[in-house]
Amino acid sequence: MSRVSVPCHVKGTVALQVGDVRTSHGRPGVLVIDVTFPSVAPFELQEITFKNYYTAFLSIRVRQHTSMHTPAKWVTCLRDHCLMPNPHSEEGAQDYVSLFKHQSPSMTFPKWLSHPVPCEQPVPLLEGLPDPSRVSSEVQQMWALTEMIRASHTSARIGRFDVDGCYDLNLLSYT
Amino acid sequence: MSQEESDISLIIAQIVQKLKGSNLYAQLERQAWASLQRPEIKLESLKEDIKEFFKISGLFPLPSHPAAPPEHLKEPLVYMRKAQGSWEKRILKSLNSMCTELSIPLARKRPVGEQKELLNKWNEMGTDEPDLSLFRPVYAPKDFLEVLINLRNPNYENGDSLSFRTHLGLIQVPLKVKDIPELKECFIELGLNTGQLGIDDSTQVPPELFENEHVRIGQKVLAEQDSAAAQQYVRQGSPTALRAELWALILNISSQPEDILYYEQLKTNVIQHDLLVDSLIYKDVKLTASNDDYYFVFEDYLYQVLLCFSRDTSVLSHFAYNSASPPKSYIRGKLGLEEYAVFYPPNGKSNVIASSIAPLCFLYHEPSKLYQIFREMYVRFFFRLHSISSHPSGIVSLCLLFETLLQTYLPQLFYHLREIGAQPLRISFKWMVRAFSGYLATDQLLLLWDRILGYNSLEILAVLAAAVFAFRAVNLMEVTSLAAAEAVLADLSTLKVMPLLQIFLFATVT
Repeated sequence: MSRVSVPCHVKGTVALQVGDVRTSHGRPGVLVIDVTFPSVAPFELQEITFKNYYTAFLSIRVRQHTSMHTPAKWVTCLRDHCLMPNPHSEEGAQDYVSLFKHQSPSMTFPKWLSHPVPCEQPVPLLEGLPDPSRVSSEVQQMWALTEMIRASHTSARIGRFDVDGCYDLNLLSYT
Repeated sequence: MSQEESDISLIIAQIVQKLKGSNLYAQLERQAWASLQRPEIKLESLKEDIKEFFKISGLFPLPSHPAAPPEHLKEPLVYMRKAQGSWEKRILKSLNSMCTELSIPLARKRPVGEQKELLNKWNEMGTDEPDLSLFRPVYAPKDFLEVLINLRNPNYENGDSLSFRTHLGLIQVPLKVKDIPELKECFIELGLNTGQLGIDDSTQVPPELFENEHVRIGQKVLAEQDSAAAQQYVRQGSPTALRAELWALILNISSQPEDILYYEQLKTNVIQHDLLVDSLIYKDVKLTASNDDYYFVFEDYLYQVLLCFSRDTSVLSHFAYNSASPPKSYIRGKLGLEEYAVFYPPNGKSNVIASSIAPLCFLYHEPSKLYQIFREMYVRFFFRLHSISSHPSGIVSLCLLFETLLQTYLPQLFYHLREIGAQPLRISFKWMVRAFSGYLATDQLLLLWDRILGYNSLEILAVLAAAVFAFRAVNLMEVTSLAAAEAVLADLSTLKVMPLLQIFLFATVT
């Protein structure tokens, strides 16, 4: 499934602040960025990618058009998503972030993953064989993986640092 | 496959490629086959289950974001990258001016006669006494400290005047460092209820209580060649007799014939080409060896390892995760032509402190094995002490961790030392930047480095530095000058590191 980036217009930040911006001294802690999608047909948003710069928490609200007759509503997709675990330190401050459509809450994962067991005698698979088409697609993907490994040759272990046997250097370069 | 999946697949393929042929790979393969036999594992959902587990468990750092450029992987914070770039430029200028002042080329091919001569005295380069008076080190540790002190985050609201938000120490960047409760959790095996080598193997303690069993476990770990178990094991210290093998196991070093061949090839490179940095290496080794009663016997080894290291292009790969970049040059007469661009020195490192090799000479006597161990320790740990980055084991974080620990848990001492103009970091910096090599007694140093390997982190260096100050706090409170403070802390050779660490972390009332 191919993904296409949607052209969008990102407006400048607006500070949310009570009172007059000029007279009050406090620095606003909340900024709003409007993102519009001019002249684009309705689409299904899968992923939002951005580079953070010292934002600690992010909320995303979306105005959805449901049908021709009902007015568009604002829906909160994400509330206070934490980008910086400690806002007073650098962790996460300049990271690249992707938010996906399905930011599902933590799901339970199969027991065997959380309790890996040491080697035991192999147990014969008794009931229920897996779906052959799924297995074959998985096996195909693993095959593609091994091909990729074989294709990338081991680079020559002993690397040459000279050019045709010559390593006469004058000065270091500043670029 | 979606874009995300093919990115992950490529990374997995690369990791598998790197692991191939190693012991670890065989162990993983065996475990994987055994696990697959289990009935509760569904082959069709295997991939999704594992991906989900990785995300949720937080055990493994996720592959980096696909939009992140390579420099982001080296160092995510732009202002740190810039500072590292400026620092590197200074070093380049220093090297270039040394070249022009002394009229010595950066690199030249040795004439055949000279090559033969060097080959003959390869094992006794220490007997040479060349005139190195005109060579100065590329930089002094205190120059580097000044750069770290001047680091500023442009987004950090600090105000020009001293306020409660200003850091009282020298480091002014707001990196996240652990406090004692977090350190206790992290270094849990150093706790009072766990046996330690360096404490519970002292002569007064009967060996049946801890030491004998610990040695037995160590032998078992070696017999099974279990690298992960070895790493866990050395957190409680490694018995002297087993240490060399355990460290090799943890670092995944096994001396194959091709490794010995590789080392011989590096030696050939040293013989063929003479580099300006060789003189700097000579000078550093002479200084390290002559200053220390224990290290002088290894002088010849130090030359061999460092000279070979500087020719080793495989070291270049660590620059992917090092905030530093290798210096570049062009073949004489081909300035600006990319096909004649080379790195200088070939491994990209214009400074290596000989002191980080010397302790390893006690463990490894075969030059190619010593070389491999040193190289791996360098690209895993020690490079972080020489470049500016936000990594938790980077020198900036270590300095901040040290200052924060001291300030939080010994506030009176910290305040007093500041008042007399003896900022604690000015004294402890040189210990941390050399991982305490040359300051502690060798057996103590090796016990400390056991924990660096065991915990895969250099944070223990900052904790030890703070613990040393805590230990000598009474004397330090009485001094009235920086010189006097330095005198109190000049000799660390009698210190026992494990009791100091244990008391500081687990037995100090906070």
